[in-house]
Amino acid sequence: MAHIKKKRGGVQMRLEPAEAALVRGLLGQLLEMLGDPPETGEGLAALGIAEDAALSDDPVIARLFPDAYRDDGEAAGEFRRYTELGLRDGKREAADVVLATLGDDEAARVDALLDEGQARAWLKALNDLRLALGTRLDIGEDWYEQVGALDRDDPRLPMFAAYDWLTAVQEDLVHAVW
Amino acid sequence: MSTAPAPVELERPEAREEQGADRPWVAIVWNDPVNLMSYVTYVFQTVFNYPKAKAEKLMMDVHHKGRAVVANGTREEMERDVEILHSYGLWATVKRDD
Repeated sequence: MAHIKKKRGGVQMRLEPAEAALVRGLLGQLLEMLGDPPETGEGLAALGIAEDAALSDDPVIARLFPDAYRDDGEAAGEFRRYTELGLRDGKREAADVVLATLGDDEAARVDALLDEGQARAWLKALNDLRLALGTRLDIGEDWYEQVGALDRDDPRLPMFAAYDWLTAVQEDLVHAVW
Repeated sequence: MSTAPAPVELERPEAREEQGADRPWVAIVWNDPVNLMSYVTYVFQTVFNYPKAKAEKLMMDVHHKGRAVVANGTREEMERDVEILHSYGLWATVKRDD
C-alpha cells in the first residue's frame, strides 16, 4: 500500500508498482485531455492569451476550467482568454512532476523524497485526477452508497476503486505537507 | 502576513478585510463533492496565508452553506485569486460585492 510520511526535508512517497502504474495511466489520459500547448512565437498565444474561449462541452474540462463569472458570460469569456492557457500549462507541469517522480521502470517500487514544490505539484495533480474521475462517475456527497448499490460486475467499479485510492493518498499527502 | 514589520502589519490585514468603496469585489468558493475538506483548508492557508482557524471556518462555510466569500479586494486582485484557486482545482468565481 501507498506509504506517505512527513520527513526532514520533505515528504516520503512510497508506492507499489501497480499503484505507480495506475497513476501513470490516469495522468496519461489527463494529459491527452489537456492537449498540447499552442504553437508559441506568434500572436496572442505567445502572450498566453487565447483568441477566443468558451466553457468546454466536455464536463471534465469544464470542471477543470470553470467559468469565473456566473452571471456574466462576457466577463467569463475574457477571464478565460487571459487565464486558461496558463492554467493548462500549470496542470501539465504538475502532471509532469508526478510522472518524473514515478520514473519509467514499470516493475519498480517508487520511493521518493518530495520537496515542497514537488509535494504541491502532487497534490494538484492528484486533485485534478480526482476531479476528472469524480466528474466522469458523477460522484456525489453520498458516493459510498452509490458504489454499494452497483452490481459486482459493473464496469465502473474499477474507476470507483481508483477514485477511492486517490482520495486516500491525497488525504495522507495533505496531512504530510501541513 | 503575520511576519510583516509592525507598521505594515497594522495596515495590510485591514486593507485585505476592508469592505470600502474601492474594494467592492469578492472571490467566492463553491461546494463540490470531490474536493477534500482537508485539501480546501490547506489551499486557503497556502493561497491567502490565513491562519488555520480562519481557513477551517471558511472551509466549513463552503461545506455547509454551499459557498463562502474567501477574499475581497479590487476586481483585478479577485481575478488573480480566482485564477490561483482554479490552479488548485477549487470551484471559485468573482463577483461584485452587493
